[in-house]
Amino acid sequence: MDEFQEILQDFLVESFELIEQLDQDLVELESTPEDLELLNRIFRVAHTVKGASSFLNFDVLTHLTHHMEDVLNKARHGELVITPDIMDVVLESIDLMKSLLHTIRDTSSDGGIDVSECVKRLDIAAGGEGNVEIVITQENQQEETALDDEVVADGANEEEPNYDDMSDDEVEAEIERLLAERKAADKAKREAKKATSGGDDNEQVPASPSPVVPKASDASKKAPKKEEAKVAPAVKKAPTTVEQTIRVDVKRLDHLMNLIGELVLGKNRLIKINDDVEERYEGEEFLEELNQVVSIVSLVTTDLQIAVMKTRMLPIGKVFNKFPRMIRDLSRELDKKIELVISGEDTELDKSIVEEIGDPLVHIIRNSCDHGIEPLETRLEAGKNEVGTITLKAYNEGNHIVIQIEDDGKGLNPEILKDIAVNKGVITDKEADKMGEKEAFGLIFRPGFSTAAEVTNVSGRGVGMDVVKTNIEKLNGIIDIDSELGKYTSIKLKIPLTLAIIQALLVGVQEEYYAIPLASVLETVRISKDEIYTVENRSVMRLREEVLSLVHIGDIFEVERVFDDSEYAYVVLLGLAESKIGLIVDSLVGQEEIVIKSLGEYLQGIEGVAGATIRGDGGVTLIVDVADLIQMSKSIKSTINSDEGGSVATSNEKNSASDYKVMIVDDSKTDRTIMKSALDSMGISLIEAADGQEALNILKSGDHNFDAMLIDIEMPRMDGYTLATEIKKYSRYKNLPLIAVTSRTGKSDRMRGVEAGMVEYITKPYSPDYLMSVVKRNIKFNF
Amino acid sequence: MSNKLQEIISKQQEQQSPSMELIDDVVQLVGFEVGEEEYSVPILSIQEIIKPIEWTRVPQTPPYVLGVFNLRGSVIPIIDLRLKFGLNPRKHTEETRFIVMKDKDEVAGFVIDRLTSAIRLNKKDIGPAPETIRDEGSFIEGVGKQSDRILTILKVNKLLERDF
Repeated sequence: MDEFQEILQDFLVESFELIEQLDQDLVELESTPEDLELLNRIFRVAHTVKGASSFLNFDVLTHLTHHMEDVLNKARHGELVITPDIMDVVLESIDLMKSLLHTIRDTSSDGGIDVSECVKRLDIAAGGEGNVEIVITQENQQEETALDDEVVADGANEEEPNYDDMSDDEVEAEIERLLAERKAADKAKREAKKATSGGDDNEQVPASPSPVVPKASDASKKAPKKEEAKVAPAVKKAPTTVEQTIRVDVKRLDHLMNLIGELVLGKNRLIKINDDVEERYEGEEFLEELNQVVSIVSLVTTDLQIAVMKTRMLPIGKVFNKFPRMIRDLSRELDKKIELVISGEDTELDKSIVEEIGDPLVHIIRNSCDHGIEPLETRLEAGKNEVGTITLKAYNEGNHIVIQIEDDGKGLNPEILKDIAVNKGVITDKEADKMGEKEAFGLIFRPGFSTAAEVTNVSGRGVGMDVVKTNIEKLNGIIDIDSELGKYTSIKLKIPLTLAIIQALLVGVQEEYYAIPLASVLETVRISKDEIYTVENRSVMRLREEVLSLVHIGDIFEVERVFDDSEYAYVVLLGLAESKIGLIVDSLVGQEEIVIKSLGEYLQGIEGVAGATIRGDGGVTLIVDVADLIQMSKSIKSTINSDEGGSVATSNEKNSASDYKVMIVDDSKTDRTIMKSALDSMGISLIEAADGQEALNILKSGDHNFDAMLIDIEMPRMDGYTLATEIKKYSRYKNLPLIAVTSRTGKSDRMRGVEAGMVEYITKPYSPDYLMSVVKRNIKFNF
Repeated sequence: MSNKLQEIISKQQEQQSPSMELIDDVVQLVGFEVGEEEYSVPILSIQEIIKPIEWTRVPQTPPYVLGVFNLRGSVIPIIDLRLKFGLNPRKHTEETRFIVMKDKDEVAGFVIDRLTSAIRLNKKDIGPAPETIRDEGSFIEGVGKQSDRILTILKVNKLLERDF
């Protein structure tokens, strides 16, 4: 049973591979029906599949492929000219073959699909001059008499009934023989492999894509030399392909990629530690060595990452292959003449992306055929070539791949698009007035939008382009549309090369950090707060020619914002699919390579969060989901300018002296008591801390809102300078007055205090009145 | 010879069988305090217990979800049981711990006030949850009776279930 499963697996893999090439070959065949090489290739596919499926007892599939083979064989011998009508039948049968193979893959049997209709038509096609024979069962003999010169199929057909006639034992023997043959073939391959690599050959089964081929040749052993010669090269070729490629389970690659991800995190951490060490032990000799090691490790890690990424890459041609067939069908359906020009099909992309990109491309191309390319007469009237051209192009651009779909059709008219959008209620009149050309083009991606007057088979439901947008957004891609009326429409999809490890821009808001995928960042600008305007409760800014809506990251992520008096704001310009938005952040930290980790089932689907990553310092940073963020920004009211009044009012609301809170940080109990007694008469609340660490913990706990801090400089665990520096790291405490109270009197000590962010410097001993007046001044005490 | 071997084997089996019985009948639990109450969870559902470490807040979550933290390279949610059980938040103390629990693929950390002890309880000493609170949404698996106290056993899968 296992053996059978293995053979079945090989059969399926091979068949799918063959069929992938088949579509393209067939379309090509239609334009060059005389190409014998092409015909032979197509015939071989039908034949191989037939041979293997009869061996595996897939009767329906055998039946179908057999009749396909008849038609193709006639064409091969010049008895039949492939007309578009015949081609339609052949293509239909190939579609059936595909669905049969899918059924086999899923259920290990080929029942449930009715092929008789198609077989009938194939027979009519094969009959050509009216010599129609309707054969529904496997009564092949009858047909063979009609095709007496059909030697190849003859050979194969003689085999088929053989299996039926065999007794169980004979079948056993036959299987034994075939297995032996296969083993011999495998052995030969293994030896060939050993000769070159000597490597582990446990993998030989998935690594050898051709075990079915020898069987096929075996099945047609009695066929004339012609056929044998044709199959033979395929067998001979097998060992060389085995040397070059190896089939690997995608799961293994995924695992490898995860490991690399961990390594990248480790590397980031190492770099961070190296920086810290560098700071502390400046000029030490071992530093140089450490530096070298760190840079080698990071270099190798990067290379390794690229190498593993490459193993997961597939040529985009895999996706492009199905389009010639699609264009052919569409142009017949729509009665237009359309030519598809493909370039850059070798451009490689991560497997997961290749899988996602197919659907959007189908929709875009259908759209181009239906709406882009005009009907024949219109084209001729406009003085264009009657054959419309659709160009499908892929190329690399930095860390992205660009896929461009361009048609030389009627182009997009922004005014008409706006009118339709208003009529369909997609946008309002007001919005339409404000729209620029590019934004109007972007309308075609809105759900429910369609320019088609009526719903046809091909398009017009207003769904397709929305699918494009959603899928491209999922891949963090950007869509760019360009068009000139009457000349062309061009849609560019810009997609990051890989999804697992990405470059990100780290931004800060208050004490929190967030990572934004760099693929979505168009630029960053610093603007003065005066440049932010409010329109209908939404903040906007003008950047060059465009008006951008703005949103504060704090509003999206519910960050409690404390009064921020800086004149400037940093704006990160985000672009995703066709939309753009400005995100205001408190600070820009820098660019970092991050590994996307999921937040787990429990926190799945949090709006605005795409995942998390682990930073160099071991902390977790959340990754922004730009698509969500753009969506969320629409429902958030502006607080960018309005928050100032509110927060000032709450922080200044003091009803009694005890509402004021001051922290005293000193390691000496006596000193603390002296300070306390000096300030006692004011009636304010005093909190004590015995050292810097404790003070910081109290502050961080957020239990108290301090108006000022009195800090001793010399303390165990954490001294006053360090404490001040730590406190000033939090923008929340940027305006908290820190007052040094110390016996250090040197000028340099004072300077250090100022550097650390202390506003006052009181030297011990001091008079209680002086201390009180300093504190009063700093907390703006008015009782 | 073979008789001797048989003897030894049967002896071993004899030795083993009472302990087997013991394992079958005894549930091992880890007890901890949240607020005034003592709770416990089966020891096998605990991945590890760690001292509090830094975490990152996750927006759009209820207050009891403190955020996520890094446990040797995995990002794990951290849930405050005080808040989850409707108690007032309290500052973390020296005794505060994160208990990392798992149920199949689900993993999350829970903040508890204090660990008490590992407890061995006979199955017969575990009663069902009081009828008044025994419904689908309850976190309580059962109540363990010990000589001097009563112990609430929590449903780990319920704790790990997202309910927002």
